[in-house]
Amino acid sequence: MLAAQRGDVLAMSLLMDRLAPWLARICGGIALEHADDAAQETLVQVFRDLRDLREPEALRGWARRIAVRESVRHAQRAREQATRAGGDAAEVLRAPPGDLALAPDVRAVLAQLAPEQRAILVLRDLEGLSEEEAAAQLGVARGTVKSRLSRAREAFARRWPA
Amino acid sequence: MSEAQRTERWPSARIDAVVRLRALAAGVRNAAYAERVIAAPFDAVWAIYGDLERGVPRFEWSVRSLAITRRDGEALEIESSGPLGSSAQFRAIWRPGWCVMRDLRGIGQIGMAAAPEGEGRTRVAHFEGSRRLGALLRPFLQRRVEGDLARLAALCEVR
Repeated sequence: MLAAQRGDVLAMSLLMDRLAPWLARICGGIALEHADDAAQETLVQVFRDLRDLREPEALRGWARRIAVRESVRHAQRAREQATRAGGDAAEVLRAPPGDLALAPDVRAVLAQLAPEQRAILVLRDLEGLSEEEAAAQLGVARGTVKSRLSRAREAFARRWPA
Repeated sequence: MSEAQRTERWPSARIDAVVRLRALAAGVRNAAYAERVIAAPFDAVWAIYGDLERGVPRFEWSVRSLAITRRDGEALEIESSGPLGSSAQFRAIWRPGWCVMRDLRGIGQIGMAAAPEGEGRTRVAHFEGSRRLGALLRPFLQRRVEGDLARLAALCEVR
Protein backbone atom coordinates (compact mmCIF):
# COMPACT_ATOMS: atom_id res chain seq x y z
CA MET A 1 0.00 0.00 0.00
CA LEU A 2 2.78 2.43 0.90
CA ALA A 3 4.64 1.56 -2.30
CA ALA A 4 1.45 2.21 -4.28
CA GLN A 5 1.10 5.56 -2.54
CA ARG A 6 4.65 6.42 -3.56
CA GLY A 7 3.66 5.82 -7.18
CA ASP A 8 5.27 2.39 -7.71
CA VAL A 9 3.38 1.01 -10.72
CA LEU A 10 3.88 -2.63 -9.73
CA ALA A 11 2.29 -2.04 -6.33
CA MET A 12 -0.42 0.07 -7.98
CA SER A 13 -1.14 -2.76 -10.41
CA LEU A 14 -1.67 -5.22 -7.54
CA LEU A 15 -3.86 -2.69 -5.76
CA MET A 16 -5.88 -2.21 -8.96
CA ASP A 17 -6.49 -5.98 -9.10
CA ARG A 18 -7.93 -5.82 -5.59
CA LEU A 19 -10.00 -2.68 -5.97
CA ALA A 20 -11.41 -2.81 -9.51
CA PRO A 21 -13.80 -5.83 -9.23
CA TRP A 22 -15.08 -4.63 -5.87
CA LEU A 23 -15.68 -1.04 -7.01
CA ALA A 24 -17.25 -2.33 -10.24
CA ARG A 25 -19.98 -4.02 -8.22
CA ILE A 26 -20.63 -0.98 -6.06
CA CYS A 27 -20.92 1.26 -9.14
CA GLY A 28 -22.90 -1.42 -10.99
CA GLY A 29 -25.54 -1.64 -8.27
CA ILE A 30 -26.07 2.11 -7.99
CA ALA A 31 -25.35 3.65 -11.39
CA LEU A 32 -26.70 0.71 -13.47
CA GLU A 33 -26.31 1.59 -17.16
CA HIS A 34 -24.02 4.49 -16.22
CA ALA A 35 -21.81 2.26 -14.11
CA ASP A 36 -18.91 2.16 -16.57
CA ASP A 37 -18.48 5.94 -16.45
CA ALA A 38 -18.94 6.04 -12.68
CA ALA A 39 -16.37 3.29 -12.17
CA GLN A 40 -13.85 4.94 -14.44
CA GLU A 41 -14.12 8.27 -12.65
CA THR A 42 -13.94 6.50 -9.30
CA LEU A 43 -10.72 4.71 -10.22
CA VAL A 44 -9.10 7.86 -11.62
CA GLN A 45 -9.90 9.74 -8.41
CA VAL A 46 -8.74 6.89 -6.18
CA PHE A 47 -5.38 6.48 -7.91
CA ARG A 48 -4.82 10.20 -8.46
CA ASP A 49 -5.44 11.02 -4.80
CA LEU A 50 -3.95 7.86 -3.30
CA ARG A 51 -0.72 9.61 -2.39
CA ASP A 52 -2.62 12.08 -0.21
CA LEU A 53 -4.42 9.42 1.82
CA ARG A 54 -2.98 9.89 5.30
CA GLU A 55 -4.19 6.60 6.80
CA PRO A 56 -3.63 3.62 4.48
CA GLU A 57 -5.98 1.47 6.56
CA ALA A 58 -8.80 3.85 5.64
CA LEU A 59 -8.42 2.92 1.95
CA ARG A 60 -11.55 0.80 1.56
CA GLY A 61 -13.88 3.25 3.29
CA TRP A 62 -12.40 6.15 1.34
CA ALA A 63 -12.62 4.36 -2.02
CA ARG A 64 -16.15 3.17 -1.28
CA ARG A 65 -17.22 6.72 -0.47
CA ILE A 66 -15.88 7.94 -3.83
CA ALA A 67 -17.59 5.08 -5.70
CA VAL A 68 -20.96 5.73 -4.06
CA ARG A 69 -20.72 9.49 -4.63
CA GLU A 70 -19.77 9.10 -8.30
CA SER A 71 -22.44 6.47 -8.91
CA VAL A 72 -25.24 8.50 -7.34
CA ARG A 73 -24.04 11.58 -9.22
CA HIS A 74 -24.09 9.79 -12.58
CA ALA A 75 -27.47 8.20 -11.96
CA GLN A 76 -29.00 11.48 -10.75
CA ARG A 77 -27.62 13.35 -13.74
CA ALA A 78 -29.14 10.78 -16.09
CA ARG A 79 -32.48 11.16 -14.33
CA GLU A 80 -32.34 14.95 -14.61
CA GLN A 81 -31.45 14.76 -18.29
CA ALA A 82 -34.35 12.39 -18.91
CA THR A 83 -36.69 14.77 -17.12
CA ARG A 84 -35.43 17.78 -19.10
CA ALA A 85 -35.88 15.80 -22.31
CA GLY A 86 -39.59 15.69 -21.56
CA GLY A 87 -39.90 12.23 -20.09
CA ASP A 88 -41.12 11.52 -16.61
CA ALA A 89 -38.09 10.50 -14.54
CA ALA A 90 -40.05 7.89 -12.70
CA GLU A 91 -41.12 6.28 -15.95
CA VAL A 92 -37.63 6.39 -17.37
CA LEU A 93 -35.83 4.90 -14.41
CA ARG A 94 -38.44 2.72 -12.78
CA ALA A 95 -39.63 -0.24 -14.75
CA PRO A 96 -43.35 -0.82 -14.22
CA PRO A 97 -44.31 -4.10 -12.50
CA GLY A 98 -45.41 -5.65 -15.77
CA ASP A 99 -42.01 -5.16 -17.34
CA LEU A 100 -40.38 -6.37 -14.20
CA ALA A 101 -42.13 -9.71 -14.49
CA LEU A 102 -40.73 -10.07 -17.99
CA ALA A 103 -37.22 -9.19 -16.96
CA PRO A 104 -36.68 -11.05 -13.72
CA ASP A 105 -33.18 -10.03 -12.86
CA VAL A 106 -31.52 -8.01 -10.20
CA ARG A 107 -30.87 -5.09 -12.50
CA ALA A 108 -34.58 -4.75 -13.27
CA VAL A 109 -35.45 -4.63 -9.59
CA LEU A 110 -32.70 -2.11 -8.91
CA ALA A 111 -33.97 0.02 -11.78
CA GLN A 112 -37.23 0.49 -9.89
CA LEU A 113 -35.39 2.29 -7.14
CA ALA A 114 -34.07 5.83 -6.96
CA PRO A 115 -30.25 6.16 -7.01
CA GLU A 116 -30.25 7.14 -3.33
CA GLN A 117 -32.15 3.95 -2.44
CA ARG A 118 -29.76 1.84 -4.44
CA ALA A 119 -26.84 3.46 -2.62
CA ILE A 120 -28.35 2.48 0.74
CA LEU A 121 -29.00 -1.06 -0.46
CA VAL A 122 -25.43 -1.44 -1.70
CA LEU A 123 -23.92 -0.10 1.51
CA ARG A 124 -26.11 -2.15 3.84
CA ASP A 125 -26.72 -5.41 2.00
CA LEU A 126 -23.75 -5.70 -0.37
CA GLU A 127 -21.08 -4.04 1.77
CA GLY A 128 -22.49 -4.97 5.17
CA LEU A 129 -22.21 -1.50 6.71
CA SER A 130 -24.27 -0.70 9.80
CA GLU A 131 -27.07 1.86 9.64
CA GLU A 132 -24.84 4.39 11.37
CA GLU A 133 -21.97 3.77 8.97
CA ALA A 134 -24.21 3.99 5.91
CA ALA A 135 -25.81 7.19 7.22
CA ALA A 136 -22.40 8.74 7.86
CA GLN A 137 -21.14 7.70 4.45
CA LEU A 138 -24.11 9.28 2.66
CA GLY A 139 -24.48 12.27 4.93
CA VAL A 140 -28.12 11.49 5.80
CA ALA A 141 -29.98 10.76 9.02
CA ARG A 142 -30.18 7.21 10.34
CA GLY A 143 -33.97 7.28 9.96
CA THR A 144 -33.55 8.11 6.26
CA VAL A 145 -31.32 5.07 5.82
CA LYS A 146 -33.93 2.93 7.53
CA SER A 147 -36.86 4.10 5.42
CA ARG A 148 -34.97 4.01 2.11
CA LEU A 149 -33.61 0.56 2.86
CA SER A 150 -37.03 -0.71 3.77
CA ARG A 151 -38.45 0.44 0.42
CA ALA A 152 -35.50 -1.06 -1.43
CA ARG A 153 -35.86 -4.42 0.30
CA GLU A 154 -39.60 -4.44 -0.36
CA ALA A 155 -38.91 -4.21 -4.09
CA PHE A 156 -36.76 -7.33 -3.90
CA ALA A 157 -39.26 -9.14 -1.68
CA ARG A 158 -42.08 -8.45 -4.17
CA ARG A 159 -40.03 -10.00 -6.96
CA TRP A 160 -38.68 -12.94 -4.98
CA PRO A 161 -41.04 -13.68 -2.09
CA ALA A 162 -39.34 -15.57 0.75
CA MET B 1 -33.74 -17.31 -6.66
CA SER B 2 -31.05 -18.13 -4.10
CA GLU B 3 -28.84 -15.54 -2.46
CA ALA B 4 -25.89 -16.91 -4.43
CA GLN B 5 -27.75 -16.57 -7.73
CA ARG B 6 -28.80 -13.07 -6.82
CA THR B 7 -25.20 -12.17 -6.03
CA GLU B 8 -24.03 -13.67 -9.33
CA ARG B 9 -26.53 -11.53 -11.19
CA TRP B 10 -25.52 -8.37 -9.40
CA PRO B 11 -24.78 -5.74 -12.06
CA SER B 12 -21.16 -4.79 -12.43
CA ALA B 13 -19.35 -2.00 -14.27
CA ARG B 14 -17.02 -3.04 -17.07
CA ILE B 15 -13.49 -1.99 -16.24
CA ASP B 16 -11.19 -3.12 -19.01
CA ALA B 17 -7.40 -2.95 -19.09
CA VAL B 18 -7.31 0.46 -20.80
CA VAL B 19 -9.59 1.99 -18.17
CA ARG B 20 -7.34 0.50 -15.51
CA LEU B 21 -4.20 1.94 -17.07
CA ARG B 22 -5.83 5.35 -17.50
CA ALA B 23 -6.58 5.41 -13.78
CA LEU B 24 -3.18 4.06 -12.81
CA ALA B 25 -1.41 6.68 -14.93
CA ALA B 26 -3.40 9.38 -13.10
CA GLY B 27 -1.54 8.31 -9.97
CA VAL B 28 1.95 8.48 -11.47
CA ARG B 29 3.44 11.95 -11.17
CA ASN B 30 4.32 13.52 -14.51
CA ALA B 31 3.36 10.43 -16.48
CA ALA B 32 3.07 10.92 -20.23
CA TYR B 33 -0.07 9.04 -21.29
CA ALA B 34 -1.63 8.35 -24.67
CA GLU B 35 -4.40 6.22 -26.17
CA ARG B 36 -5.16 5.23 -29.71
CA VAL B 37 -7.69 3.05 -31.50
CA ILE B 38 -6.09 0.62 -33.92
CA ALA B 39 -8.01 -0.91 -36.81
CA ALA B 40 -7.03 -4.49 -36.02
CA PRO B 41 -8.47 -7.12 -33.64
CA PHE B 42 -7.17 -7.49 -30.10
CA ASP B 43 -5.27 -10.74 -30.70
CA ALA B 44 -3.37 -9.29 -33.67
CA VAL B 45 -2.50 -6.11 -31.77
CA TRP B 46 -1.44 -7.85 -28.56
CA ALA B 47 0.68 -10.29 -30.59
CA ILE B 48 2.96 -7.30 -31.25
CA TYR B 49 2.24 -4.93 -28.36
CA GLY B 50 2.48 -7.68 -25.74
CA ASP B 51 5.48 -9.45 -27.24
CA LEU B 52 8.15 -7.86 -25.10
CA GLU B 53 11.15 -9.46 -26.80
CA ARG B 54 10.17 -9.33 -30.48
CA GLY B 55 7.37 -6.77 -30.65
CA VAL B 56 8.29 -3.95 -28.28
CA PRO B 57 11.68 -3.06 -29.86
CA ARG B 58 9.86 -2.49 -33.15
CA PHE B 59 7.84 0.48 -31.88
CA GLU B 60 9.22 1.59 -28.49
CA TRP B 61 11.59 4.54 -28.93
CA SER B 62 13.70 3.80 -25.86
CA VAL B 63 14.31 0.08 -26.47
CA ARG B 64 16.79 -1.48 -28.86
CA SER B 65 16.48 -4.97 -27.43
CA LEU B 66 14.68 -6.59 -24.54
CA ALA B 67 15.07 -10.01 -22.90
CA ILE B 68 12.96 -11.75 -20.26
CA THR B 69 15.44 -13.16 -17.75
CA ARG B 70 13.00 -14.63 -15.24
CA ARG B 71 9.34 -15.54 -15.30
CA ASP B 72 7.22 -16.46 -12.29
CA GLY B 73 3.55 -16.50 -13.28
CA GLU B 74 2.68 -12.91 -14.18
CA ALA B 75 5.86 -11.52 -12.62
CA LEU B 76 8.77 -10.98 -14.99
CA GLU B 77 12.31 -9.73 -14.77
CA ILE B 78 13.59 -8.00 -17.86
CA GLU B 79 16.82 -6.61 -19.22
CA SER B 80 16.65 -3.95 -21.86
CA SER B 81 19.18 -2.00 -23.83
CA GLY B 82 18.53 1.44 -25.19
CA PRO B 83 19.35 3.01 -28.52
CA LEU B 84 22.57 4.52 -27.13
CA GLY B 85 23.74 1.26 -25.62
CA SER B 86 22.60 1.95 -22.05
CA SER B 87 21.03 -1.01 -20.25
CA ALA B 88 18.42 -1.29 -17.54
CA GLN B 89 16.75 -4.01 -15.53
CA PHE B 90 13.03 -4.02 -14.97
CA ARG B 91 10.47 -5.86 -12.91
CA ALA B 92 7.14 -6.30 -14.67
CA ILE B 93 3.63 -7.66 -14.30
CA TRP B 94 2.42 -9.11 -17.59
CA ARG B 95 -0.86 -10.70 -18.62
CA PRO B 96 -2.85 -10.56 -21.88
CA GLY B 97 -3.84 -6.92 -22.42
CA TRP B 98 -1.75 -5.62 -19.53
CA CYS B 99 1.89 -4.90 -18.78
CA VAL B 100 3.44 -2.53 -16.28
CA MET B 101 7.13 -2.31 -15.52
CA ARG B 102 9.48 -0.40 -13.26
CA ASP B 103 13.24 -0.29 -13.46
CA LEU B 104 15.16 -1.62 -10.48
CA ARG B 105 16.45 1.84 -9.60
CA GLY B 106 12.81 2.93 -9.28
CA ILE B 107 13.17 5.80 -11.73
CA GLY B 108 11.58 4.74 -15.01
CA GLN B 109 8.05 3.32 -15.20
CA ILE B 110 6.14 2.07 -18.21
CA GLY B 111 2.57 0.89 -18.73
CA MET B 112 0.91 -0.79 -21.71
CA ALA B 113 -2.70 -1.94 -22.06
CA ALA B 114 -5.05 -3.07 -24.80
CA ALA B 115 -8.76 -3.87 -24.92
CA PRO B 116 -11.17 -4.80 -27.73
CA GLU B 117 -13.09 -1.81 -29.05
CA GLY B 118 -15.72 -3.71 -31.06
CA GLU B 119 -15.85 -4.48 -34.80
CA GLY B 120 -12.30 -5.77 -35.05
CA ARG B 121 -10.73 -2.70 -33.47
CA THR B 122 -8.56 -2.36 -30.40
CA ARG B 123 -7.94 0.53 -28.02
CA VAL B 124 -4.38 0.71 -26.79
CA ALA B 125 -2.96 2.82 -23.98
CA HIS B 126 0.62 3.59 -23.07
CA PHE B 127 2.35 5.64 -20.43
CA GLU B 128 5.88 6.40 -19.43
CA GLY B 129 7.04 8.21 -16.36
CA SER B 130 10.36 9.20 -14.92
CA ARG B 131 10.80 9.97 -11.25
CA ARG B 132 13.88 11.99 -12.12
CA LEU B 133 13.38 15.22 -14.06
CA GLY B 134 9.81 14.06 -14.56
CA ALA B 135 8.23 17.50 -14.95
CA LEU B 136 10.94 18.62 -17.36
CA LEU B 137 10.84 15.43 -19.39
CA ARG B 138 7.08 15.13 -19.60
CA PRO B 139 6.51 17.08 -22.86
CA PHE B 140 9.31 15.09 -24.46
CA LEU B 141 7.90 11.79 -23.18
CA GLN B 142 4.41 12.76 -24.31
CA ARG B 143 5.56 13.08 -27.91
CA ARG B 144 7.44 9.80 -27.56
CA VAL B 145 4.53 7.72 -26.24
CA GLU B 146 2.27 9.11 -28.96
CA GLY B 147 4.94 8.21 -31.50
CA ASP B 148 5.20 4.70 -30.04
CA LEU B 149 1.48 4.12 -30.52
CA ALA B 150 1.57 5.55 -34.04
CA ARG B 151 4.36 3.10 -34.93
CA LEU B 152 2.46 0.25 -33.27
CA ALA B 153 -0.67 1.13 -35.26
CA ALA B 154 1.32 1.16 -38.47
CA LEU B 155 2.71 -2.30 -37.67
CA CYS B 156 -0.71 -3.75 -36.81
CA GLU B 157 -2.73 -2.14 -39.57
CA VAL B 158 -0.33 -3.13 -42.34
CA ARG B 159 -0.94 -6.83 -41.72
